[in-house]
Amino acid sequence: MSPRSSLRPLDVVIRIAIVGLILGTAYIHSTLGGLLFTLNALGYVVAAVAIAIPLGIAIRYRWFIRLGLMGYATTAIVAWAVQGPYYTTAYIAKAIEVTLIALLAIDFARMDGNPVTVIKSELGLLAAKLGRRPVTGQAGV
Amino acid sequence: MKRTIAILGLVLVAALGAACSSSAAAQPSAPTGPTSDGPTIVAKDMKFQTTTVEVKAGENLNLHFDNQDSAPHNVAIYTDSGASTPISVGQVVSSAKADQVVPALKPGTYFFRCDVHHDMTGTIVAK
Repeated sequence: MSPRSSLRPLDVVIRIAIVGLILGTAYIHSTLGGLLFTLNALGYVVAAVAIAIPLGIAIRYRWFIRLGLMGYATTAIVAWAVQGPYYTTAYIAKAIEVTLIALLAIDFARMDGNPVTVIKSELGLLAAKLGRRPVTGQAGV
Repeated sequence: MKRTIAILGLVLVAALGAACSSSAAAQPSAPTGPTSDGPTIVAKDMKFQTTTVEVKAGENLNLHFDNQDSAPHNVAIYTDSGASTPISVGQVVSSAKADQVVPALKPGTYFFRCDVHHDMTGTIVAK
């Protein structure tokens, strides 16, 4: 499956849900006070913009934004699992983040296909841009 | 892709499982016996207004917590600043008061903090 840029109705629904979940967890983090939580909330807001904005460069690198956001949310969940605190609002925020990761994975699968294939392809493009040729198996070349 | 999703799912389940087990393990058992009235700790402007609290050793205390911030805070008492052994973990509240029963402390110095904001700390001296 190759990456596509046109949106089907279900893609739009998924994207709206993703943005809603991002803004939801951003809001929760913004109410917690302290520098770390405020920066976390700002990070989520930036991610919400990046995932939705119809800008050429954002569309081109949406695959990276999806993977980055999945990593960001996973890091937030693991960090919380390690140090807590374990109370109702935190459980709600983590449930939102788990759902967010699941929807991002679905969105990635629908829009970009296999992540390994995408990353390999992008690395190949990067190597070509840097003036290198992919390894062909000829030693010393 | 399915494999990637499966791995990601396992990581999340493991993280949430760790959270649930930590939550259960971190809760100290409730004290029994008579309880005397204890001090009030106030949280305001993202810090504890009193950072050193003296209490009477050898008897259960009813500790009062007054969170005047809209941000959520609690009072969690640990044996030391490593915060690995909890003695009493108070409820997390926002713009509210909460009481917690602290089990009888042996004479000594104990560490307390807000579990949400780890830079909010203080010391309890039991005499």
